Amino acid sequence: MKKSFSIILLVIIVMSTNNLIAETKLKMEIWNRWTYHQIDGDVTQNEMAVKRGYFRLEPQLTNNVKGRFNLDFFSDNGSPNGAGLKMKYAYLDFANLLPLKDSKLTIGLMKTYFGTIYDWSYPTIDKDPSDKYKFVSSTDYGMGVSGYFPQGYGTYAVAVYNGEGYKKTSGDINTDMNYLANIRVSPITGITLGGSYMFKSKNDSQATDREEYNMIAGLGKFAYGQATISAQYLTKTTSYPNDTLSDVTTSVVSIMPIYKINSKIELVARYDMYDPDTDVDDDGYNTAIGGLNYYLARDSKNSPKLMLQANYQMKTYEDDNSDDESTMMLQLRWIFSGKIK
Amino acid sequence: MKFKILPILTVLALLAVPAFGQSNRLTIAGSTTVLPIAQAAAEAYMDLHPEINISVRGGGSSVGIASVMTGTANIGNASRHVKTKELATARENGIELYENIVANDGIAVVVNPSNTINGLTTAQLKSIYAGEVQNWKELGGTNKPIVIISRDTSSGTFEVFNKLVMKNVPVAASALKLASNNAVASTISNTPGSIGYVGLGYLNDSVKAITIDKVMPTKKTIQSKEYPIARTLQMYTNDEPTGLTKKFIDFILSTEGQKIVEEQGFISLN
Repeated sequence: MKKSFSIILLVIIVMSTNNLIAETKLKMEIWNRWTYHQIDGDVTQNEMAVKRGYFRLEPQLTNNVKGRFNLDFFSDNGSPNGAGLKMKYAYLDFANLLPLKDSKLTIGLMKTYFGTIYDWSYPTIDKDPSDKYKFVSSTDYGMGVSGYFPQGYGTYAVAVYNGEGYKKTSGDINTDMNYLANIRVSPITGITLGGSYMFKSKNDSQATDREEYNMIAGLGKFAYGQATISAQYLTKTTSYPNDTLSDVTTSVVSIMPIYKINSKIELVARYDMYDPDTDVDDDGYNTAIGGLNYYLARDSKNSPKLMLQANYQMKTYEDDNSDDESTMMLQLRWIFSGKIK
Repeated sequence: MKFKILPILTVLALLAVPAFGQSNRLTIAGSTTVLPIAQAAAEAYMDLHPEINISVRGGGSSVGIASVMTGTANIGNASRHVKTKELATARENGIELYENIVANDGIAVVVNPSNTINGLTTAQLKSIYAGEVQNWKELGGTNKPIVIISRDTSSGTFEVFNKLVMKNVPVAASALKLASNNAVASTISNTPGSIGYVGLGYLNDSVKAITIDKVMPTKKTIQSKEYPIARTLQMYTNDEPTGLTKKFIDFILSTEGQKIVEEQGFISLN
């Protein structure tokens, strides 16, 4: 399959590249974070770290072909150096190749168009729900078509992935592909409804430890004036086709209101309800987050250049024997970008 | 250590100075092509209404549209139409991008005044910008290399030129990509053998406009759509304009405002 990908990629590059132009966007993003974590009043973590860093190159190869290449630097206590390095994006977008207006074909290590993971901008310091609760990896090797409905009434995506993600390659390896479909519509300005379906699998289809995952994400968002509220429901059913084990259904409900006080300050809150097995009582936990984002500087397109995030997070377990956890986080994100013409 | 997050958030919220809803201030950003119209109209409007403060800045069409979407400008100037991607992002965030057409414009193709060439066809222009024709002598001019001046890809003028002339064929890698109409006109005037394109409002004696398909960009040929590289100029707002934003756009669309459009070298809607 990987060989087929390479051949398709080469053919498309030749078809699209009759005159190369050179314009490349550069971007670097750093997250400096202080974390103060307590369990039942006992301090378990009090650290400052460069938690994450991204270095991105976006070459515009021709009018119709654009690439994105991202290096992801992250703190990793398990590494001898205390840090890890992964390639997060390495894909090419081919516009105007298909007879569909405002569509593109993407090939490579690309976004996973599931739920909100592909356009998550970290309004809270915490990860997107699909990422946090291990539904999907934010990027994976694959090929897909995505685009916009006329007049901006929504977006769509269909894709095929390896299923290994970008961090734990060889973790979920098998000979099967994963399949995804995603749609988001805004029938009325400010009201957005969406849904995603993804089929994933682990281990080969004949293996006794074969696992299959059917995952669905439902999304609703309401934006009016300075306020936005979004809600997401995620469900994953894990089945074991070659074993007698029962199916396991995992669910997540996440609600997130944001209020923009002015162009510099916004308040954000989030409440997640996580149930790892809907057939088992008191095995889940809820997370409440309250936070503030302060935009110290923006670029000419009003994208953040320097922002301070403050989050207070309380995690409560349904099991009365587990202690509540609280976390205070302060994060300074700084981003710089430029263009090489 | 016990956190008291709510009082902290409340204090910070109170410290924040609300920037929205100031009825005597108007912020305009975006296209450098529309900039002279917006600036001249703002000055005239503030002369009539001294209590009003209008700030105008450039940045390009993409910046103008993004500024309306993020609420940092009341009006986003654009020399191109809004893209589907921008419409989708705006709709999802509760912003209805409303297009107010304020003027007509032609993209004039200009060369250094020392150039003997007086006109090109659209096909010849495309060949020059694609890098296929590299010397003026191939087009009947003097033996001089062609220096291609273009706009960067965030420019609305570039997007219209790309759509109407290049038809998505890439501009040659050797082209010098500049950030504003002013920079293009200035570079052309100082560089023999150069060719570029600017909005009509940026034509002056230091550059020479040439005919395209034997048509010179004039008020008459642009209004009649005879000139092939013509467009409209827009001011985008969040939904139909109201309050001061509406009063200012109504002023530009009035007889007095359209006179300002003409004075700035563009074509009025009338």
